[in-house]
Amino acid sequence: MTATTTSQKPARLWQRWPLLGYILRRLGTSVLLMLGVTMVTFVLTALVPGDPVAAALGEGAASNPATVAAYVEEHGLDKSIPERYLIYLAALLQGDLGTSIKTGRPVATELATAVPATVEIALCAIVVSLAVGLALGTIAAHHRGRATDQVLRVVSLLGLSVPTFWLAIMAYHTFFLRLGVAPGAGRLDPTFTPPPTVTGLYTVDFILGGDPVGFFDALAHLALPVLVLSLFTIGLLTRFIRAAVLEVLDTDYIRAARAKGLPRRRVIGAYVLRGASLPILTVVGVAFGVLLSGTVLVEAVFAWPGLGTYAFNSAINLDLPGVMGVGLVVGVIYLVINFAVDLLYGVLDPRVRLA
Amino acid sequence: MIDTAFSLETGDPGRNYVPTGNMMLHAVYDTLLTFEGSEEDEPIPSLATMEKNEDATSFTFTLAEGRTFSDGSTVNADDVVFSLTRVQGMTESKANFLMNGITVEKVDDMTITLTTEDPSLELPAIVTNPALSILNSELVQDNGGTTGDDDAAEDFLGSASAGSGPYLLDSMDITSRAVLVPNPEYNGEYAPGFERIVIRNVTESATQLINLQGGDSHLAVDLNGAQVAELGEDFTVTSKPSAQTIFLLVNQNEEVGQVTADPKFAEAVRYALNYEELLQLAGEGSVQATGVIPPMFTGALDSGVAEDLERSKTALEESGYAGETITLQFPSDNPVGGVEFTPVAERVQAQLKNAGITVELAPAPFASQIEPYVGGQEAFSMWYWGPDFADSSSFLPFGPGEKVGLRAGWEADADPEIAELVSTAANATSVEEREQAMREYATAMQEEGPFVPLIVPGINLASSATVTNVQNNTNWTLDIPLLQPAG
Repeated sequence: MTATTTSQKPARLWQRWPLLGYILRRLGTSVLLMLGVTMVTFVLTALVPGDPVAAALGEGAASNPATVAAYVEEHGLDKSIPERYLIYLAALLQGDLGTSIKTGRPVATELATAVPATVEIALCAIVVSLAVGLALGTIAAHHRGRATDQVLRVVSLLGLSVPTFWLAIMAYHTFFLRLGVAPGAGRLDPTFTPPPTVTGLYTVDFILGGDPVGFFDALAHLALPVLVLSLFTIGLLTRFIRAAVLEVLDTDYIRAARAKGLPRRRVIGAYVLRGASLPILTVVGVAFGVLLSGTVLVEAVFAWPGLGTYAFNSAINLDLPGVMGVGLVVGVIYLVINFAVDLLYGVLDPRVRLA
Repeated sequence: MIDTAFSLETGDPGRNYVPTGNMMLHAVYDTLLTFEGSEEDEPIPSLATMEKNEDATSFTFTLAEGRTFSDGSTVNADDVVFSLTRVQGMTESKANFLMNGITVEKVDDMTITLTTEDPSLELPAIVTNPALSILNSELVQDNGGTTGDDDAAEDFLGSASAGSGPYLLDSMDITSRAVLVPNPEYNGEYAPGFERIVIRNVTESATQLINLQGGDSHLAVDLNGAQVAELGEDFTVTSKPSAQTIFLLVNQNEEVGQVTADPKFAEAVRYALNYEELLQLAGEGSVQATGVIPPMFTGALDSGVAEDLERSKTALEESGYAGETITLQFPSDNPVGGVEFTPVAERVQAQLKNAGITVELAPAPFASQIEPYVGGQEAFSMWYWGPDFADSSSFLPFGPGEKVGLRAGWEADADPEIAELVSTAANATSVEEREQAMREYATAMQEEGPFVPLIVPGINLASSATVTNVQNNTNWTLDIPLLQPAG
């Protein structure tokens, strides 16, 4: 018997750890996409009609050529768009999102206050939506064609169709003014002082600060905006989950599981929902992105000082650094969500990470 | 709890030039002169009394004895000189222009003079502006304040008080709320009425209404005419015309508006409109604009133009108008005093159609509409104007060759007589002379100017029964120091 030796190259890191390779590939794509987002945001903002100098200085100071010249030079407005973009990008790499024209404060500082306020309601809304949507969608699918299914389909359609602004006003009018079961507008009762900032999420920060009274007040103020925001996503998720579950219910392996006499709860939990998880994950990711970037109307009604309010104020004041900051944050939000969804795809489905 | 749609940008008086900032800072800081409640005709002493020379070029301010800042130190002339020259040094501040052409000098510890090269009867009104608040100079300088362009006290002033007003700034978040508490060292005329005042950012007026009705707030600043009409007897509404004027601009530059450039066309438009019908769109507190100067200021006319279709028709024929379609541009996303521009524009369109003038509407966002307006590139448009400070001289820019006049392509030599009236009003040295000149200017503008004043929107301050003495003033919208609890 002779021994044969073959010279085998050592497997590369991503060959041994396919999931790691998958993550690196997705990260690379995300960086490129982020660069694209900064470019699109910058160019579109630069092309917005209007005079940012007059907006910043006011008409009085803007009529003084020396002041205008100093301002233009200081903010690099005399440079070409590509030059300004490169300057912007260089600053961005150092975490500098520019200075708000309206307030003179760093945009990053202002976003650091606004983003957590929106994240707090959006997170709660997506959790509520997913829980309710999952339950209603699965029930509707299991009762396909029957009265329960018809009712749930109509209800979910209503959730999708009712204008959010109208719903917010009506909910506030009903639950606060008429029934008196909801607190007033804002993130906290006026008698409360905001908690020391750790995460920017008041509920979390109150817990971290050991203040249960503050926590419950913050939670109570969250309830109505979250309810209003959730109704749309509940409608969306219910319909989508119903369709996804129906598709899985028609597969052979589910029929086999049923034929073997497995309990219905186990079939749903272990096989149906797992089988439908990829499309559900996709739509949850999209819905979360929509929630984070589309709260402006709800924030206006409930006096919620979040990203939507900041975006609106920046736009009407022609605060271009503010507008770019919001564009960038929204872009990052979508990229992070997509990245997270892609990662979960890889975890849930080996075919994805090995492809 | 006061609900208002925030325009708050800073807690630094010298850098502030927005309504919410004025409202808040007026409670924290004193100025040399002030206005009594909603009176805006004549400034009264606040930190100082004032005397002027005959030429109205030198104004001597004598500080009241013993007035103190919130740290207990006494207000003196050095504080005044520092505060006013600090604003002069901040060239990028929106409020900087208020100090243009004014020289500040200390006479002694309690006396200061402000001098100008030309007569400046508006100076007393200018120094009532909260941007010209008197700061504790030592405290501010210790925290980065200077009189050059390198002042760095804004952050400090956003979290602390350096004033002598009845309240202290307890905390401020420019996106959500500002909290005021009483100043224990205050020794002025208006003792704080509340232990805590919260000014909350509520952008949506419908939410302000619900908050007020539900008891979550005690005062709403931005309700429109229809909303205040919903309030029952449990609420008090203080309504009065604001200092804003909504007007039509008829461009006199032939290169911009070939048809509109004939002055007879502006006359045809002016007499084609039914102002009472337009006013129906404006709500509580609003009045017809009787001229370019709103009713609370010196020189305002007693009555406005009335519809006269015959006169309009004659003027239209003389203008050479031959049925061309005229485009009416206006900002569609920027209601003023609760008045939405789109329905007003639609009604103007309908009324002009009755008079034989064909108009197409061109609404656009404020941000994109403002540049062509300011650049004088709009042939026919609807805009608004508010005073830079509470004085009728803020409406002289409508004159030929002036800031707003030029936006209508109206050069100084287009109407030398009105240009002369502007100069006379600006350089008047006595109140009587000024009043007459302002009135003549306003009358001439109504007869020959390229502007058609339409509406002075109302301002409505709605309060619950728990608050009394709610008063509006152009400078600070709501006079917080005057507020008192009921009973």
